[in-house]
Amino acid sequence: MLKRMFIAVVLITGLAGFSSTRAFGEPASPAAREREAWQKEFDEICSRTQDAMSLSQEELATLIQRADALLPQIEKLDETRKKVYMGRLRMCRGLYEYVLESKKNEKK
Amino acid sequence: MNRKLFIALALILIFCCQTLAQTGIKKKRPLPYEYGRVVIDNYSADTDLSPVVFEHWIHRAKFTCRVCHVDIGFAMKTGGTGIKATDNARGFYCGTCHNGKMQNEGKAIFAACSRNASAGDQKRCIRCHSLGQKVASDYDFFKFSEPLPKERFGNGLDWEKAEEMGLIKPIAHLEGISSAKSALALQKDFSLNPKVEGMPDIIFSHRKHTVWNGCELCHPDIFMGVKKGTSRYSMVDISEGKSCGACHTTVAFPLMDCQRCHSKPVHP
Repeated sequence: MLKRMFIAVVLITGLAGFSSTRAFGEPASPAAREREAWQKEFDEICSRTQDAMSLSQEELATLIQRADALLPQIEKLDETRKKVYMGRLRMCRGLYEYVLESKKNEKK
Repeated sequence: MNRKLFIALALILIFCCQTLAQTGIKKKRPLPYEYGRVVIDNYSADTDLSPVVFEHWIHRAKFTCRVCHVDIGFAMKTGGTGIKATDNARGFYCGTCHNGKMQNEGKAIFAACSRNASAGDQKRCIRCHSLGQKVASDYDFFKFSEPLPKERFGNGLDWEKAEEMGLIKPIAHLEGISSAKSALALQKDFSLNPKVEGMPDIIFSHRKHTVWNGCELCHPDIFMGVKKGTSRYSMVDISEGKSCGACHTTVAFPLMDCQRCHSKPVHP
């Protein structure tokens, strides 16, 4: 009786473990994690374009720095992704620089 | 006698050549359904396909300018993107939507280029690679434009009013493509003085332009001046495609529709 119960518990535990792995997906590979990281950083940087005018000079300068830091990672992507995201990043960065310049001009 | 005739003929020829060189050849005004049409021919010839014919009117009715020119990454100049079939097959550029999966009006949008195109795909290829081909389109411009408010030039449509009336609803965000954006800081409209006597001021609809284009589509690539009033825009430059001309000579209402920009009432 005890033996059967033991086998049942082992099976249930195993099944539960297997299900949770399937439910949460395979652990991400280092490359996948890196990919997700650059994408997340890209989205965070470029999500501020709509309210760029309301950002402070410091915030704008930080966004420009983050865009510059992200560029080498984007340069490593495959040809298509590189072309698309370098173009998009260039536009975001260009806008922040433009707004920063206009804010500096306002102060003069 | 012969010599005099020769000189006279030579003079006439020189005069005619000079006249032609000065006036150039008059451009044909595009028909309403042709306005905004873009012919893309970067790599088509390499694959024995016709150049791609892209109809702006179909796409602008469904998406804001920003979705395509910022989020998807299409350049603002014809051929400037350098789209390759592999880019589309990987799900970028045209392939972002034309992937055989994305739905539009209850139908899957046909897939653009595929990695393993066969002779059987020819019919699908020429839906886009259609210059000089007889291709039946799913969209009929006249049927589409019938309920929309009319204008005089360009596509003959008032796109802005059509949106206000809810007749078109351009999508401003593509899930998985567009970055999640913070709330749009609406910009105030402002007036510009053309400094030409009798010419009404330009009321620039900054708000409308921001909603459709976002900020980064225009600044700094198209409008780089950082201080209002420091940049000078001439109609010659604009007609050559600079500043406002980047869109208003190609897709948005054309320059001959003067009073749509020079719109400030002259009489109080």
